[in-house]
Amino acid sequence: MALHPPTTPPGPTGPGSPQDMPPAPGQHPMDSLDPSKLPPPIRDELLAPDPAAIDTSAKELRDGLNHCPKCGSTEVQHRPGSDRLICLYCRHEWAATRVEEAFGLGEGIADLRGTQIASGARDIAADAASLRSFKCGGCGAEVVINTETAMTARCHWCRHVLGVNEQIDNGAVPDALLPFHIKKDDAVARIRQFVDKRRLFALKAFKDEFTPENVVGVYLPYMVVDARGSADAAGLGEIETRRYTRGDGKNKQTYFDADVWRVQRRVDFTVDDLPLESSARRGNLDTRSNTHNVINTILPFDTKNAVKWNASYLLGYTSEKRDRDVQHLMPRLQEQMLSIARARMQPSMQRYDRGVRWERERIDLKGTRWVAMYLPVWLYAHHQPGSGGGLRHYIAVNGRTGETMGSVPAQQWKLVLAALTIGTVVEALALWFIAR
Amino acid sequence: MDIDGDTILFLLALGPASAVGLYWAIYRHYRNTDKSHAFEHETAVEVLALTGVEADRKVDEIRGTRSPRIEGDNVGNHRQRVQPM
Repeated sequence: MALHPPTTPPGPTGPGSPQDMPPAPGQHPMDSLDPSKLPPPIRDELLAPDPAAIDTSAKELRDGLNHCPKCGSTEVQHRPGSDRLICLYCRHEWAATRVEEAFGLGEGIADLRGTQIASGARDIAADAASLRSFKCGGCGAEVVINTETAMTARCHWCRHVLGVNEQIDNGAVPDALLPFHIKKDDAVARIRQFVDKRRLFALKAFKDEFTPENVVGVYLPYMVVDARGSADAAGLGEIETRRYTRGDGKNKQTYFDADVWRVQRRVDFTVDDLPLESSARRGNLDTRSNTHNVINTILPFDTKNAVKWNASYLLGYTSEKRDRDVQHLMPRLQEQMLSIARARMQPSMQRYDRGVRWERERIDLKGTRWVAMYLPVWLYAHHQPGSGGGLRHYIAVNGRTGETMGSVPAQQWKLVLAALTIGTVVEALALWFIAR
Repeated sequence: MDIDGDTILFLLALGPASAVGLYWAIYRHYRNTDKSHAFEHETAVEVLALTGVEADRKVDEIRGTRSPRIEGDNVGNHRQRVQPM
């Protein structure tokens, strides 16, 4: 028997295994590893793109003063009915950059991997306050802005208009916004028209206090998501093979024969610009406790036209701050992606003329891209007192498309009376028919 | 005219049914509690691949049922969630 020199067993090679030499100072332990030799889950995590890969911050506006590019004045305002800004001093007009092209948000959805978060959609710092003080770039005075509801203020010393342009960590500055297109007069007319169709049974207090001129233009916070996913569903489908009647005269009844099929579908798909409410309050669509579902109904917006953040657009409007992060909205996205997938599967189920019962389903999100946006909504509100704080009825007008939806409180006794009257008339007709 | 028992019951039920139906119709017209964003149809979706059609297979036959649809039909109810796989 030949003698072999003793061999040392091969050392463990995976991540976290002991090494002969400690890594050099400043070197990350993972740097010395070749990612292609690592197990797939670890490799994928290592190679996934940086979560906050898209930097949308407006560095040129960081001093808080939005100067007119022509004369330097800060009297800059959104020109109603357009996407442009106008200088109130020299009347110069210009358009902000569209984020779609500037950051390539419409491209590469089919190649999305991991979770990509634009810088304005980053997680909100736990200790972030809404009340922020800013140093005026004109005179150096400290100006306080409550970012919960406003993003601009006038310096009380030098009268410069200050805007919150820096992407502060409380979620108040999004990546982009869509300027209002629908003007206030138009919104008032639409709300009036909506209510005129619902006057007869409306609550008296609502009709007495109805002043659509009190409508408020609000920029509401949304996350606009591009996603790539793969969904599976499995269930049973039935195809009718025969239909026949049994019995005669009064006892005639229809019977069916059917084939039962086991069905399974997989759909790989991409979704472009799906809007999700990124405020916990507005995202709560429970119709028993609020009427936020009507604001949800006026979606979608033409988010492709969104422009780079500039606080001057918000002058004269109010805004609501985002308070939800990507992780909070992930379950909602998964749910909506599943619904979209099921809708896309439906055309392939047409041969099952007795319908399909889906029993199991799954969504696998391959990649998502999150962009925080302020979207324009005209809101009219009426508070109906009642138990548990009452109910706030909203009428909402999409600030871009003009789509209008609302909730008009109904006078209960009028409704009951109308229902009983019609019920009685129909019943009387039925009795007359039987007695005849 | 000769009317059988079932038809009489049906005619008698018409009154209460129309009252309840009218109440709900008006209530919904005013309050719009059933409305929401139709994201399934109003979002730009691109289907990259749809597979599984070829794997459908017949597993059973039903004879003489009186129901015109499969029990628990949810092919058109996209938002109804079912068991995870």
